[in-house]
Amino acid sequence: MKVPRVGIIGIGQSEFKARRPDANYPELVREAVTIAMKDCKRELDEIEAVVYSLAPDALLGIGNAERLGVDAVGARNKRFMRINTGGSTGISSLAAAHSHIAAGACDLVLVAGADKVGECGDSQTILNKIWDPVYERPLPLGTITMLAMSAVRYMHKYGMTEEDMAAIVVKNRAHAALNPKAHLRTPTTIEEVMHSRMISWPIKLFDSCPQSSGGCAMVLASEQYIKDNKLDAVWITGVAHCTESYFIGDRMGNGYIADHADSQAMGEACQRAYKMAGVIDPTKQIDVAELYSPFSNTEFHAIEGAGLAKLGQAPGMLKDGHFKLGGPTPVNPSGGVLCTNAIAVTAMVRVAETALQVWGRAGGHQVKGAKRGIASGNGGDHQFFGAMVVEA
Amino acid sequence: MAINRQVGVIGQAVYAPRNAAQASLEEGLYAVTHAALKNAGLTIEDIDGIVVAGHDQMDGRAITIMMASGSVGGVTRDILATPSGAEHAFVLGALRVRSGMYKTQLVVSWSPLETENINDVQRLANDPYYHRQLPLDDLASHALQANVLEHSIPKLRDAVIELTRQMRQNGVKAYPHYSPAPTEKVWIEGGKMLRYPLTQGMVSPAAFGAVALVLAGDEWLNEHKDHSTAFVHGMGWATETAYLGDRDLSQLTSLKAATQQAYVEAGITKPQFDLAEVADATAYQALMSLEGLGLCDRKNWVDAVFKGDFDHQGSMPVNLSGGASSFNPIFCSGLMRIAEAANQVRGCAGAHQKSNVKKSVAHGASGFAMQYNTVVVFGKQPREALK
Repeated sequence: MKVPRVGIIGIGQSEFKARRPDANYPELVREAVTIAMKDCKRELDEIEAVVYSLAPDALLGIGNAERLGVDAVGARNKRFMRINTGGSTGISSLAAAHSHIAAGACDLVLVAGADKVGECGDSQTILNKIWDPVYERPLPLGTITMLAMSAVRYMHKYGMTEEDMAAIVVKNRAHAALNPKAHLRTPTTIEEVMHSRMISWPIKLFDSCPQSSGGCAMVLASEQYIKDNKLDAVWITGVAHCTESYFIGDRMGNGYIADHADSQAMGEACQRAYKMAGVIDPTKQIDVAELYSPFSNTEFHAIEGAGLAKLGQAPGMLKDGHFKLGGPTPVNPSGGVLCTNAIAVTAMVRVAETALQVWGRAGGHQVKGAKRGIASGNGGDHQFFGAMVVEA
Repeated sequence: MAINRQVGVIGQAVYAPRNAAQASLEEGLYAVTHAALKNAGLTIEDIDGIVVAGHDQMDGRAITIMMASGSVGGVTRDILATPSGAEHAFVLGALRVRSGMYKTQLVVSWSPLETENINDVQRLANDPYYHRQLPLDDLASHALQANVLEHSIPKLRDAVIELTRQMRQNGVKAYPHYSPAPTEKVWIEGGKMLRYPLTQGMVSPAAFGAVALVLAGDEWLNEHKDHSTAFVHGMGWATETAYLGDRDLSQLTSLKAATQQAYVEAGITKPQFDLAEVADATAYQALMSLEGLGLCDRKNWVDAVFKGDFDHQGSMPVNLSGGASSFNPIFCSGLMRIAEAANQVRGCAGAHQKSNVKKSVAHGASGFAMQYNTVVVFGKQPREALK
């Protein structure tokens, strides 16, 4: 069955910093919305529906905090719903907006959200509460320890070293230095990463994403609306999700369902998105990738999940410069999650940055000639994976 | 832009354990999913995508979709969550089928009793600076709404008590095993004053429940023309602002907007249904729902209630299931209304089935004083415009 085309016509990213005391939560959402509306030269009154991107309420300390964002996104008396799939919320929200338009219910949909992770106190204490209260919550599990175990497994299977992880950080910080929206923009070195404070072996402070505060908004439109209004757009040609098991214990030991070293479900999500977009060989057909990788080690299996390298080969290809700006397939030219992570919108920023790249509007971190890109988002305990192919 | 694909409800189930304290949420979700799939004649392998709705704070989890995913068959599947409201999960599930990307969807929502104090959980939804200090929970917001209506409509309280009695009588017939609230006028109007003017007898206590629906699109529906199906003729959803001080609580402009969306899509100019399932955290809200749906203006509320218009033999039966006035799993109550309206059209409503139902309307509401409003119109036949 043919799915109608859906275009991206506006993008807005706020300033991302550790703290944004200059803007309360609704104001932070509004900041991104204002930029996105200006970008597409539309008025809020024209928006028919809003999909609100908000991950755990606990990070904001407000239950159903999306309710407080209704006026900030101009949704009063309009279609409005919130999506939450954890870290993948941003890309899941875009997928929901895509459904609004592809179903024929709306022509113009706003997707918006914000987070104040840097102001939440301690995100890892909050994120421990994502696990089952009886079986896994009593363990010292956070998203860092969870993915440190993944790093150890990846090291065991594929021979990754701590220096390989540091090389990801060096690459992404160099990219972020070119991106004025990124939170961490100071270039670094292998030595600096290696000497940074150990958080959970082998993940060190510099291997970890920051706790960012900021917002993102995007405006999606139907093909007919874009044609009728003679608008410039890039197109979502592939969209998919896939899910792993909830219990970390199901990804380890002799009876594991999915190997914790690999992004099995992310690979499936990407393959589904590629199939929809008609991409057969991503190594040849994908020009740029913005892959959700909050820790340096996870970028390797994200690259492999996206089909840009075979299992275990991403570290070697990184050494050859394959994934840096100027390389054959730049990965995270924006600096990625490793340099900016306002959880509610992080996966939306991946799509926004991919869209800017294929639009030729990425500025200092533009990948030359990029026409087709892949974006991904991870949520839960490395459980929910979303993928989106965006084309010029 | 025109909607160009059919979507129908082909399966449904409700989980309501007799002993909620002994029931595990995960097992409940598995049970309700299994039962809905069985009702649809499908297995989980036939499901392309899933949309769930849970409430993190009520569930005691930071991202509650994580817990639910395995129980509802989400592993290896495409699953999303709409924590803004259970009824939003239905809307998104239907949109996903209509997009042509999915043949089927499973929609699941639940409302547990796992927290120490649901009222405190609800108070967390207030902004931390201006309203958090107030004793403002869902019931308090409903009471403010009731107050403003009582102030402007003479004899409304008597009508509300009578409407509550009628809906409770429906509940006794529909689900006698989980409709514990009083059915006699004296007990409904009496009892402890919970939030003025709402007495303990006027509202139903929070209950543990889960509900699941199975949706299918053109391809499946064309291959299973004999399957009992409730076709979605129209959907609308809209929101009020969050701040109660910015609202006239006696009005629901977002419900009017949602109704208009649904009726335009369904091709309805003059609403006529065989029955309605509407939001009724209080019976005041049920009346507001009926007005918002264009079924009864407030100037006629009192007369219509006492004439029995909304009773099971009336001209517009309301909440034959008993509604939330009888059984109130708070967070998934809106999806329960949608499921009940679909079930009546499918002819699967059991003890409270009305005969010869061809068209029904459902209204779900969530948030303080009905912030979110969703309207769904069901028909026994496919949408005329798409036949």
